[in-house]
Order: sequence, then C-alpha cells, then structure tokens
Amino acid sequence: MQGNTVNYEELVPGYEFPLASYELSASLVSKYVQAVDGAGDGFVPPLAITACAIATMAGSISLPPGTVAIHASQDLEFFKPVPIGTTVECHIRVVQKIARGKMGMLILELGIFDQGKEKVQSGKATIALPA
Amino acid sequence: MLTDIHEGKTLPPVVKHVTQEKINLYAEASGDYNPIHVDESFAVKTPFGGTIAHGMLNLAYVSEMMTAAFGRNWLSGGRLRAKFKEVARPGDTLTINSTVNSIEKRDGVSYANCSFEVRNQKGEVVVAGEATAKFSRGQE
Repeated sequence: MQGNTVNYEELVPGYEFPLASYELSASLVSKYVQAVDGAGDGFVPPLAITACAIATMAGSISLPPGTVAIHASQDLEFFKPVPIGTTVECHIRVVQKIARGKMGMLILELGIFDQGKEKVQSGKATIALPA
Repeated sequence: MLTDIHEGKTLPPVVKHVTQEKINLYAEASGDYNPIHVDESFAVKTPFGGTIAHGMLNLAYVSEMMTAAFGRNWLSGGRLRAKFKEVARPGDTLTINSTVNSIEKRDGVSYANCSFEVRNQKGEVVVAGEATAKFSRGQE
C-alpha cells in the first residue's frame, strides 16, 4: 500500500476500506443539484450520498497508469431522509473478487450511517478494473 | 407526487442533456475526479476515445424521477438495482422512462415495483434496472 491508496492485489474479500466521513453541506448539495439539473427539497438527494462514498472508495484504489475503473452495477436501499448539513460515515468492504482475464470485478458492500449511528443507506456496487 | 399509481402506469419521463460542464460540476460535488470523466487528453487515449459521464450521474436522473413520483417515500424505503450498460458522453441526450410493473402489499403498505431505462439519443440503453418505492393511500 502506498500512502492512502490500496493496490488491486490487496483488495481481497473481507478487506475494509478506511472509514470515510463527510459533511453533506449546503454548498455540496447545491453543487450536486446543479450538476444533475435537479430540484432541492431540503433533503440530500440520496444518490449524492452514494456518489461521495463511491468516489472516496474509487480514489483510494491505485490503478496502473492509463487504465480506468468502471462502475458496472449498483444496488441501493434508502432508509431515511437525510437533512442537509448531516455528517455521514461510510463503511465499504470487499465481498467478492472475480478475475476475468486482464480485468477484475470487485463486488463491494457499502453502509452509510449518520452521526446518530443510524443507517441511512446500504448497497452493493460492482466495479470492473484492470487486474 | 404522482396519483393513481397502478400496474402499467408510466412515470413522467425525464430528459437530460449531458455536457462536460455538468460532468465537471458533478466531479466537484462528488469528489470523483477520475480522469476518464474530466481529462480529455487522458480519456482520448482510452478505449472510450473521450470523456464519459459518471455512471452515478446517469443514475441520479432515475432517482430524480422516483423522487418526483414518490416524494419522501423514495427517500425512506426506496430500493434501486441498476446495471450500467453503455457510457454517456458530453453532447448526449438521455431520456429516462419507467413503468410500474407490479404493486405488492406487505404489512399493510403498498409498494410499486418499477422497471426503468435510461436511453441515449441513438436509442441505446445506458442504464437499466428496477426501482421499488412504497406509496401512500392518496396516491392509489
């Protein structure tokens, strides 16, 4: 592992990414709503929360130069509306790793909790990346 | 919010134009600066031949449609299963369609099971999947 990144070889079932927490501030939500051409309703759009979690995870994987990781599928369940200004904590772990030639598929489980330790989202993501 | 939710009901479609400006803004908001999305000189050398939108940006449009249809019931109890099948590029126009496939009742609560597709202007499916949301009596 170099710095805050993890190599493909280290991503084995059971591996847990370092806990990440972030504040879903009004400015972040406003930027997100502009990007998706959406409408604000006082709550954080649920996919804004997921997006931050996925980005944190993806940013910590070290990839060979010139290669990319691709999001192949996403399952999500939302448990409660999240007010703007909430700080959430994101737990992500590898549940499965599948090698397909020069590509690998990582299946990740994610759980996102608010500051009261209540789960606000859970899900599963499949990421394709160079093996 | 929608009223008259029943099997076969079509949710109001959403149409979105993908631009590099929105992709850049999405990168800023999410913190996902993967160069395939924001660096044309990098992206042009990949098999994609240019920048592409974040998959989660394309999926955000589905969530927006579900929020418009089901309101807070989507934010609390909504479920989503999506497969990213094709990439969206700057200049693409995406149309998001969804239909209520079935209604089920569990513990006195009604749930609408919807299928959805995000298609580009060429008719190619970019994202496809299912979404489920509970709905209230006033929406029946």
